[in-house]
Amino acid sequence: MKHSFIDRYSDQDSLIHRLDPRTKFITTLAFILMVTITPVIEWQVFALYLFLIATLILLSKVPILYILQRSLVILPFVALIAISIPFFKEGEVAGSYNIWLWEVSVTYSGLQAFTNILAKAWLSILSLTLLVSTTKMTNLLNGLERLHMPRVMVMILSFMYRYIFVLIDEVMRMKQARDSRNFGGKRLWQIRTIGNMIGTLFIRSYERGERVYAAMLSRGFNGQTRTLDRLNFRPADIYFGISFGLFLILASMINLLY
Amino acid sequence: MQLHLIENPGKRYVIHIPDGFLNVATVATTCVVSAGGVGNAVRLANKKLREKHVPMMGVLAAFIFAAQMLNFPIAGGTSGHLIGAALAAILLGPWAAVLIMSCVLIAQCLIFQDGGLLALGANIFNMGIVASFSGYYLYRLATSFLGSSRRGKLIGGFVSAWGSVLLASIVCAIELTVSGASPIMVVLPAMAGIHALIGIGEGLITAAVISLVLATRADLLELQKI
Repeated sequence: MKHSFIDRYSDQDSLIHRLDPRTKFITTLAFILMVTITPVIEWQVFALYLFLIATLILLSKVPILYILQRSLVILPFVALIAISIPFFKEGEVAGSYNIWLWEVSVTYSGLQAFTNILAKAWLSILSLTLLVSTTKMTNLLNGLERLHMPRVMVMILSFMYRYIFVLIDEVMRMKQARDSRNFGGKRLWQIRTIGNMIGTLFIRSYERGERVYAAMLSRGFNGQTRTLDRLNFRPADIYFGISFGLFLILASMINLLY
Repeated sequence: MQLHLIENPGKRYVIHIPDGFLNVATVATTCVVSAGGVGNAVRLANKKLREKHVPMMGVLAAFIFAAQMLNFPIAGGTSGHLIGAALAAILLGPWAAVLIMSCVLIAQCLIFQDGGLLALGANIFNMGIVASFSGYYLYRLATSFLGSSRRGKLIGGFVSAWGSVLLASIVCAIELTVSGASPIMVVLPAMAGIHALIGIGEGLITAAVISLVLATRADLLELQKI
């Protein structure tokens, strides 16, 4: 099976790993929300948030390089925003450059908008990466169900999580078969081949779904799922939640102290 | 090798908005709208589908997820991959597609951090609701004009997939503009341009899938739609 890239490091053990998935989910959500509502100019607040998330990453013992690498996923969007900096026209001009025939001027407000988005996006992706690399997917889904996510969705997600591995293996086998038959040629031919692969994958998935349902029914499935894991809030969760929340609130008010 | 492609975020050219790019008002609005849409999809699924369809939808959501791992070449060395909303909507109906795409997007957010957590509202709106419904009705429109012959279905599949990708990217550009992240005259042509190209791949693949399903198990195109 070739799926080491799915929830990597989540089966390790640390202070953060041992927290209840609900605690981690709610604190992550609160963190991203606070980051989103922070006004543009307050860089001290961003620095404090970065300090908080860095401390948690160190505590979680997940390799920092891995988390940094994962956070690169926002790059295409950052590039999209970066090309629009010169188009903010209002405000004081920070610098003006002649690039071939164009005169490009960059204003402070344009730069500020860019750094603001960059800081917010990066802090958010760090916290999200931390959440998923310290929480097993099954536990996270279990926690989400307790937080009143619709049952149908939780069940679809947990079936999905189980069958992703099987289907990825299926895709990899098809890819190997394709590549060993000298895949190449014109672009249209390539796309046609991929279309046939996806079509085959659909039919196989559908038939697998029918077999899975028959197998579940014959084992007494009546629409209920049962798990052995019992989720419990422990004192650690309460301390963590309270101190995390206090830190967020104090950090967001730091500018009032000056 | 291929795993590298999957892990390499630069290769994923699809419109999953990360957190931090949208402002509070846009986040709140899209979350409310998407919650309503998904809620209605859940209600319809509970009413019209029996428990039989839950494992089925789970496996099909995993199918869309796995199908998105097959990159196809676009111009200039870049590659795109399927979004799959139009395909799901053609096969299972728009509300089922909303449900499946929402689960796919949640899984992508939680597994690849592809798309943000608070931005899920916007992403579900763009690629779940907008793409599924536009895909479904474009397919219906095209097949009603061209007749439901094989040719009509293939062209309908192409048009619906292309249109759904384009529309989703336009809505995404509007959300970014409203949030003040980027002026409309930059982000709209950039987004729509890239996705008009990616959409061709999506359209061709969707048509090829329909063609294969028609040839091997045509009954799967006539499933109950919700």
